[in-house]
Amino acid sequence: MTAGAPAPPVNAPVLEMRGIRKVFPGVVALDGVDLTLHAGDVHMLLGENGAGKSTLMKILSGAYRKDAGEIRINGGPVDISSPGDALALGIRVIYQELNLVPHLSVAENIFLGAAPTRALGIVDWRRLREQTTQLLRDLGLESLTIDPRTPVARLGIAQRQLVEIAKALARGETSILVMDEPTSSLTSREVSQLFGLIERLASRGVAIVYITHRLDEVFRIGRRITVLRDGRHVTTRATGDVTVPELVRLMANRDVTEHFPKVRVERGPELLRVEHVTRRGALSDISFSLHAGEVLGIAGLLGAGRTELARVIAGADRSESGRLAVDGRDVRFGGPGDAIACGIGLLPEDRKAHGLVAGLTVARNVALPHGRRLARFGVLPRRCEEALAKPIGDDLRVKATPTQAVRLLSGGNQQKVVLAKWLAGDVRIFIFDEPTRGIDVGAKVEIYNLMNRLTARGAGIIMISSELPELLGMSDRVLVMCRGRVQAELDAGEATEERVLSAALGLAS
Amino acid sequence: MPAGIPIRQFGTAIGLIVLCGILWILTPHFLTVANLLNVAEQTSINAIVAVGMTFVILSGGIDLSVGSIVAFSGVVLGSALAAGQPLPIALAFGLATGIGCGLANGALISWGGLPPFIVTLGTMSIARGAALLFTEGRPISGFSPSFRVLATGRLAFIPAPVIVMAVVYLVAHFVLTRTTFGRYVYAIGGNEEATRLSGVAIRFHKTMVYAVSGLTSAIAAVILTARLNSAQPIAGMMYELDAIAATVIGGTSLMGGDGTLAGTLIGALIMGVLRNGLNLLGVSSFLQQIVIGGVIVVAVLLDTVLKRNRA
Repeated sequence: MTAGAPAPPVNAPVLEMRGIRKVFPGVVALDGVDLTLHAGDVHMLLGENGAGKSTLMKILSGAYRKDAGEIRINGGPVDISSPGDALALGIRVIYQELNLVPHLSVAENIFLGAAPTRALGIVDWRRLREQTTQLLRDLGLESLTIDPRTPVARLGIAQRQLVEIAKALARGETSILVMDEPTSSLTSREVSQLFGLIERLASRGVAIVYITHRLDEVFRIGRRITVLRDGRHVTTRATGDVTVPELVRLMANRDVTEHFPKVRVERGPELLRVEHVTRRGALSDISFSLHAGEVLGIAGLLGAGRTELARVIAGADRSESGRLAVDGRDVRFGGPGDAIACGIGLLPEDRKAHGLVAGLTVARNVALPHGRRLARFGVLPRRCEEALAKPIGDDLRVKATPTQAVRLLSGGNQQKVVLAKWLAGDVRIFIFDEPTRGIDVGAKVEIYNLMNRLTARGAGIIMISSELPELLGMSDRVLVMCRGRVQAELDAGEATEERVLSAALGLAS
Repeated sequence: MPAGIPIRQFGTAIGLIVLCGILWILTPHFLTVANLLNVAEQTSINAIVAVGMTFVILSGGIDLSVGSIVAFSGVVLGSALAAGQPLPIALAFGLATGIGCGLANGALISWGGLPPFIVTLGTMSIARGAALLFTEGRPISGFSPSFRVLATGRLAFIPAPVIVMAVVYLVAHFVLTRTTFGRYVYAIGGNEEATRLSGVAIRFHKTMVYAVSGLTSAIAAVILTARLNSAQPIAGMMYELDAIAATVIGGTSLMGGDGTLAGTLIGALIMGVLRNGLNLLGVSSFLQQIVIGGVIVVAVLLDTVLKRNRA
């Protein structure tokens, strides 16, 4: 695909950002950051959360105004003071949160506000469809068999993402495409599809900025790498000139010696048994058990039913048939409260939507499941929530005071608050659904270490993750799900990326 | 306390003080003890209804039925009194009516899964119709002084309705800030699904929120009936809008999860002071409606701008 791609060209760069500075009240978000992009570049922008990646891209896209510094496009200085300016300069940004209208069709979304019309502004539907088909073919996406008439609501996340990209590219000439963690909710196969598209775009001369936390991606598609740390430019290098440990060091400025600090502990008694659990359209005949001291990894592609399984075990959804047993005793969950009473705690996949009340303080979020225990006749003793949350927050090194609103915390700290909710109670069965998604390297390692401490204490952990290295690195056993079924169960020793992937794809293992 | 909220309440409080200052300059009658007590007394009914409304809005809902519940509770109370029931029994009937309407609202919203707007719109009509049917459209008048003292009585120099209002606010404030129920109200309004996944019984607590709203409406009905010395099936018209306005002027977010009762009290006082001041200034009641509408919009606009700058 990239055979015909030009080597990094020698003419004027498409984009030069020099000495960019941005100050928010009390924080210097960017302090003299440089970024240079050439046509056809796939430029990986790396850094921990809060390093300034998003701020830099928001300045490029006109969402923020820089306080100092210079931006040149094709050698000429430009002033980007609104998103409209950025659009006119051929800059397109795809954010993590997609901006599609679910009930409109693919074609309508792609050409939203720019649909071809006849006289009197009546939409020319036939032309709209043709243009969409043309555009999708042009992008090499015709193999997706997306019918332009399909409502976006019926597409999977991966397809929506491709529609979002098509939409961005449909708005006139694109010279710079920014993608902010585009793969965080994609499965491996979908990622390949996206990477194919990125390479095609790059070979046409589009300069791509790619923000990610997944280091394997950096080496798969990145040509050059820029690392930011604490709002400063650390380094820019060709991908071939760095190694993974080196990158982690550059980002974190501390040696994360072992990528996955797994500590194995003696397997204890059975905590949870799941038998023949079935939920129409999501889960069929799932059986497995979880023991004290073990991490049971659950692998699978998007839509394999992993999150649905987690929700059934946590009492959030009901199963139509099958049994659950905790400590050998049969249980029936009427709601999450029953599961919590049995010592089951869920770290949901989408922590903002399902894990936290963003407007409440850290302490009140932590205390939320424990109200009945803390209160006397419904009355909460003064500062009891802070007293409950403070030691756990300190232990997890949450960078916030108990009285701060959770809304103001970074992703990693928010995840720790969700964890603290369960650590504050008598939870022994933890369900971690994508626990490290979108959080920085340092916080990831802290979560791995915490998992070790929990298993050492006799807890059992079900860990769902789309990051195979993490899943293989931290699990004692791996359950591979495919289309709502358990396709394979592998011990840590026999689980390799190839075996897990082939099972996840539905191939015999 | 989260850092942002007191500042915003401060803003509303400053608005109230500035408003009082302007009225003091424009009309010397405004800042007399008698007039201020008068304002407090006139505000009390809306302020009490707004307590329940604040609970409901904090939980992410809305209650359009409060005005009709005031009327229905009032006529039940009035007919119980007229039938010669002892005062405590009659009061219990009146309050139970309000709570019952609220429970019905809450149950339909929680277990029926219907939008609060639709359910309470229905109840608004049903409770009003029930009040009219119950009385055949005629007011019930002429109560004993022992009942009317709830409106006409004074403790020291403070009118009874103001005392009732103060007690309702103190109790409700305690419930909202110091009890698990209060926490759940904020949590449900902030993120219902996350609260459910934390094991909180959402349906029960949402139902209780509407029961609180029914109760405060019934308390307001008691004062209104005593003050008018008459229980009228057409009482409480548009009370829902006044209560929503007081809540929103007080800085409570219509999205739920954010707001305080102190804000609501100030919001109710701003509306009361404005009405009183405009009356003292001899502004026509037609113009008054325009001014009050404008104040509501400007107050919320200011609040929105302040929040945007904070974010």
